[in-house]
Amino acid sequence: MPVFSLKNIQNKMKKEEIILKLTTIVKPYVQNEEGFKNLNEDTDFINDLEINSANLVDIILDVEDEFKIEIDNDSMEKMLSVKATVEIIQTKINA
Amino acid sequence: MHNIGNDIVDLNLAKTQSNWQRKGFLEKQFTQKEQREILNSENPFLKVWLFWSMKEAAYKCYTQKFEARFFAPQKFECSLTSEEIGKVVFKGNVFYTTSFFNALYVYTTARETKEKVAIFSAVGLPNTIDSDLKIKLALAIGVPSEAIEKRKTFIGAPLFYHREELVTPSCSISHHGNYGAFAFTLENKF
Repeated sequence: MPVFSLKNIQNKMKKEEIILKLTTIVKPYVQNEEGFKNLNEDTDFINDLEINSANLVDIILDVEDEFKIEIDNDSMEKMLSVKATVEIIQTKINA
Repeated sequence: MHNIGNDIVDLNLAKTQSNWQRKGFLEKQFTQKEQREILNSENPFLKVWLFWSMKEAAYKCYTQKFEARFFAPQKFECSLTSEEIGKVVFKGNVFYTTSFFNALYVYTTARETKEKVAIFSAVGLPNTIDSDLKIKLALAIGVPSEAIEKRKTFIGAPLFYHREELVTPSCSISHHGNYGAFAFTLENKF
């Protein structure tokens, strides 16, 4: 199977699009601007962006609204980083 | 060993930083019983943050033993036996909480045993809370505070060392808005 199949490219675009939307969502809750400037897949909401844990639920609710998905409790548990959040959004969108 | 955890909420900041009346806010984080208690309370805003600080303090207590990070506030079930004394249950683990609140903040400490353990705890300013802790700890164990060094576990829990020896069997630090708070135990070591 070719590495650059159309499906791979579509998924990749999707992922970058998701990260872009997620960046806009988290922005109002960020308390570490340096961390925000360097936002990437490995960014942790609490450790890197210093988002208050009481605002994690706002991010989850905003993600639900933006992507028109429902995030169950088990998925919510993992939503502490960009990477985990993107994976959950992808799974829910494709479900 | 008995772990402890703490959490402080700056109530003025909580007012602007979060909207507890936002659709989904209560449903995602609080059990149905907690939601009922919040909505039937004379001061629902305060109840939200009291329960929240209990959940957070219990989470910090739990994660010192089971080193993992996760976000599952609804699974930490709170109950109060009085305004300030309560219990949080998570996966069969019980945490006993003591809270304090005034017009400015809510502060909770959680512990694993029903019996009172000696907890050194104080509320202060966010920027000086580490040095406040060092001073208190240094006095308690009889060493100069400059000789105390802060480290962190890989999930970010604070540890304090003196001459390469861990001197806080359990420790928790919380920051929010204008406040900082620490809690630590010494057990029977000293």
